[in-house]
Amino acid sequence: MARERKRPEAGEAELSMTPMIDVVFQLLIYFIVTTKPIDVVTNLDVFRPAPDKSTPKDTPPPNLVRLGVYKDGYTVNESPATLPVLDQALARLAALDANQTIMITVSSFSEHGQLIKALDLCAKNGLKSLSIVSASN
Amino acid sequence: MARKRRKPQADAKMDMTPMIDVVFQLIIFFVTTADLQAKSLDTAVRMAMAPNGPVEEVKDPRTVTVDVDKDGKISIMRTPLTENQLLAALVNARNVSGQGTPVVIRGDVTTSHEDIKRVMDLCGKAGLWKLRFAALKEKAS
Repeated sequence: MARERKRPEAGEAELSMTPMIDVVFQLLIYFIVTTKPIDVVTNLDVFRPAPDKSTPKDTPPPNLVRLGVYKDGYTVNESPATLPVLDQALARLAALDANQTIMITVSSFSEHGQLIKALDLCAKNGLKSLSIVSASN
Repeated sequence: MARKRRKPQADAKMDMTPMIDVVFQLIIFFVTTADLQAKSLDTAVRMAMAPNGPVEEVKDPRTVTVDVDKDGKISIMRTPLTENQLLAALVNARNVSGQGTPVVIRGDVTTSHEDIKRVMDLCGKAGLWKLRFAALKEKAS
């Protein structure tokens, strides 16, 4: 009795793995081909002064760095600057004090990409305290 | 003798069915969940490059991501919103998860700052002050 039972079980044990491996490889190839690489996303932190505050533009504290983003370019403390110049200026400022506040005034007509470029340079030089003010011009 | 030899053979046969069942369950689970994250974002928004931006360590689960496309249309999770709806959503987010709820603004490269400003002002109105701009650190090839 015992022997007769064992034999058919032993016969089932020879299960062919080939079809399963075929299917698994098919799935593997399918997923490798269809998966798209994902873009690496970063987030740039900013502060935004409350709009109801009295305009800080009128009396800026002496140590405040003013950065302007306009449709046709950038300014550092009111003097026009290109991106490399801006980078140099920010590197110099960061060497003095990385915690100082940078006030970024953004023109309404500028493109968002320009602001991101300026924020990227601030991040590059380790400047963390960035406050964004929107200008209507 | 013959019986003794058979015993290890009986051990060697293993039922593969449960394992295959589990593996397929896992495959189906990953296939269905993997795309959810990508689908919640508006693909029409082409973000600006910021190669020096900080690497995102741990994402705050409360984060609200607001998409602003190049025409200034606002949407959250691919749902277009009017300004009032966005304000209501932001106020709701503040009431549910507090003032420190981060708001990520995903703006297109060519979006006018005017439209970004509108979203920032609404965040301020809703009492949310933690603003971040999303940008691309590395573009996948």
